[in-house]
Amino acid sequence: MSVLFSRGICVISASIALLMGSVIAGMERKVQARIQQRIGPPILTPGFWSWLKFYYKKKVRPLATAPSFYIWTVVLGIFVVLLLLIVTLPPVWGFLGLASILGVVGFLKLEELLYVLMGSVSQSIMSVPLFPWDIVRGGKVLGTRREFFEQQSALRALKMIGLGSIPLYVAIAVPFAMAKSPYISDVIRLQNPAFFTESIFPLPSSPAFFTVYGFFASIVFFIGYVILLNDKPFNIIKPKIDIMEGGTLEYGAIYRAYMYIFSQVMAFVLSSVYVTLFLGIPLDVTRPALLALHLVLTLPLPIFKAVLAAFSPVLTFRQIYSASAGLTAIGAFALIASLII
Amino acid sequence: MVVGLKEVSRRNAIHVMLVYSGGCNGCDIEVVNAIFSPRYDIEQYKVLITWNPREADILLVTGAIVYAMKEPLRKIYEMIPEPKAVVAVGSCAINGCVFRNLVGDVKHNPEVLAPLEEIIPVDVKVPGCAPRPEDIVAGVVKALPKILKAP
Amino acid sequence: MQAPNKNQQVVEKELPIGPVHPALLEPFRIRFFVNDEIVEDCEVVLGTIHRGVERILEGQPVERALLITERVCGICSNSHAWNSVRVVERGLNIEIPPRAMYIRVIAQEVQRIASHLIFLGHAMEVIGHETFAMRAFLLRESFMDILYYIGGNRVHPSVPVIGGVRPRCEITEGLKKLILELLDRGEKMFKAYVERVLADPLVMSRVTGTGYLSKEDAIRLHAVGPTARASNVRFDWRMEMDEYKPFTFDYIFLEDGDNKARVVARALEIFECIKIVRQALKDLPEGPLVNRNWVPKRMKFTDSYNEAPRGELYHSYALDDYGRLRHYKIRTPTITSLHAVEYAAIGDHVTDAVLTIASADPCLSCCQRVEVVDVKSKKCKMFSSPIEVVKKYGWKR
Repeated sequence: MSVLFSRGICVISASIALLMGSVIAGMERKVQARIQQRIGPPILTPGFWSWLKFYYKKKVRPLATAPSFYIWTVVLGIFVVLLLLIVTLPPVWGFLGLASILGVVGFLKLEELLYVLMGSVSQSIMSVPLFPWDIVRGGKVLGTRREFFEQQSALRALKMIGLGSIPLYVAIAVPFAMAKSPYISDVIRLQNPAFFTESIFPLPSSPAFFTVYGFFASIVFFIGYVILLNDKPFNIIKPKIDIMEGGTLEYGAIYRAYMYIFSQVMAFVLSSVYVTLFLGIPLDVTRPALLALHLVLTLPLPIFKAVLAAFSPVLTFRQIYSASAGLTAIGAFALIASLII
Repeated sequence: MVVGLKEVSRRNAIHVMLVYSGGCNGCDIEVVNAIFSPRYDIEQYKVLITWNPREADILLVTGAIVYAMKEPLRKIYEMIPEPKAVVAVGSCAINGCVFRNLVGDVKHNPEVLAPLEEIIPVDVKVPGCAPRPEDIVAGVVKALPKILKAP
Repeated sequence: MQAPNKNQQVVEKELPIGPVHPALLEPFRIRFFVNDEIVEDCEVVLGTIHRGVERILEGQPVERALLITERVCGICSNSHAWNSVRVVERGLNIEIPPRAMYIRVIAQEVQRIASHLIFLGHAMEVIGHETFAMRAFLLRESFMDILYYIGGNRVHPSVPVIGGVRPRCEITEGLKKLILELLDRGEKMFKAYVERVLADPLVMSRVTGTGYLSKEDAIRLHAVGPTARASNVRFDWRMEMDEYKPFTFDYIFLEDGDNKARVVARALEIFECIKIVRQALKDLPEGPLVNRNWVPKRMKFTDSYNEAPRGELYHSYALDDYGRLRHYKIRTPTITSLHAVEYAAIGDHVTDAVLTIASADPCLSCCQRVEVVDVKSKKCKMFSSPIEVVKKYGWKR
């Protein structure tokens, strides 16, 4: 009975994530359009109707050196992101110890690795094969290896994994350091002890956001959120001006629907992880009032991200490295201070 | 009349791709004006811009087709998944404008391969040199029924 | 695999950017040779938009030259039209009424403003800043309205005609007031825009210090126009043209030579163009608009230089006994400026190199030529089209 109950909760949470992801994607685009002094698209258009329309197109096989592997990567991506959401749900907290800092960081690292896998196999026509008459006698430097856009994007994604995503993990470690334990249940016990006793609307008594170290860690988490979702100013792996879309160029028809779902659900899930860890309100389907509060609180983070993206250009590596180093320093200060005190 | 989810979703999200195949650049700038200028904002009509043929529904072709751009244009047209539509924007794409018709002693210009109909099938033609952004938006909207009614 | 080039450098891989790409909207092909994302060398392949313009002009009556050369480029179309008309006026000594001269200058300067605003919007988009790009395109709309009222069309206004301007392009008192209003509004909004862009730390950190071109290199590689003026090469064709003698304005010369100087040089030129248009409207002399008593007859080979928004423009042709065009030759500024910034892009990251190439404001529709160099006999011959070359020599590697 309880197995059926927790499976039902997982299914309901997945559908909530799908819907909220579409709404968030549409609201980001609308906020950016209003900043640019124009009317933007309607809210459901970039999110919900787009992937539904791609579902009804005729299937095409991607041009890649290993097409089935390429398709499998994006399906695995959706799976990993939904697993990350499910381990933060209260009925699953005791399962295999995955509801801890190890599970959160592990699933995020796996998701980052997928961009490298996507970029290594895809070979779109838009880069090398489109103009076959540029290898001529008398041209410069004939005989080198010609690289596709997606391979260049995979290389840049590897650099971002190594050096660009450290601030996010340092910021995630701070609430666990405050609770002095690696489990999510202990983090909630510190910030919201009424969650385990009351049953209708337990508000958190001391969320981490309102402490000094938690506030600094929140700022670092926000920038890490922008880096992980590859949005401006940190979208060097898919900057449109240089290598177009990077590894996801060859997804068409239904696979593009999967890709849209993947990126939209990821935006919602990371924001929900923030609300769980820093504000002490987990995603609980059995308490509808608390669920509504949680969903409303996941909205500000993507909107701030859209405002930041509207006002900034694309930064190259010599600026990203210094920004990442500075943010890691702030995050490390907050982490060490909350461990000692 | 019951309208299925398929038609509603196709009507509410349209992706457009621009291929510029060798004219004078005027029509191209007018299309960019329709996209990027807040005065003629095309996104409010549920039309989104993309640069990837795998994501597009409607292909906008401007410019007289030049010898070097014929193969790339054909390859890009084949990459777009069904259902799709093609809009020829500007006089160069429709009948070659000055480059094919006002020739002097040579009697025939082999460099320019306009009209576009001989290379890929065309659904809507928008004339003008250069057509105004309002006309381009009207042309895109007129290409919709072919996509809505497709299976 | 690694291969040495002429300078014995070893490069790791090549990253080609293809004809259909959002960076430069026209068809082009750039091959970057990179070593771990730093550009060691780059090559721009021309010939993707060759339409054979010089070939179809052969044998046409001289009044038709205007229709075809205007459509060589859609952004600087007035420069091409004016220059092709100027050749025959210099060759046959046709007198132009002064009112027509002033109206031609007004149309040219307004189109220069519109062209520089496209460049600013495009440069902001290549940096990645969508908001500033959209703002620049919105500012351009007021100047396009001025061209629409004078000439009748936003993109090819067709103002000059042999002997003067078209009678439709009459500037009445009401139109004068309207143009001055539009200019005032446009200048105020543009000033606020420039101050906001120059104060933004993220945008400035992208453009400063990348794509450096020194003065000696600019002279050696024949860079022209604002690309060269941003590296302190002190020449502007408007210094030598008679039509600009009644006006007082400054020329913009900057010393830095990097991407920021090229962007700022064009932004500052817009203020000077607004000054010229205001002076021209204030002092507009009375008189007829066009001088129609001339006949086409035999003309020696004459040339004419002009300052297009991108640099120095050259047209030349001759007329035979019946007044038909012979040997039309057009040389546009982008040919050499593009290869000058090819050299300036070396040493930067690939994304910065794309910005450097876009900062020369290339108008690729203008600059397509075919030239065959015979290495054995050290002679060189110009063809008009790649099809002729292929028919004569075959597809040899």
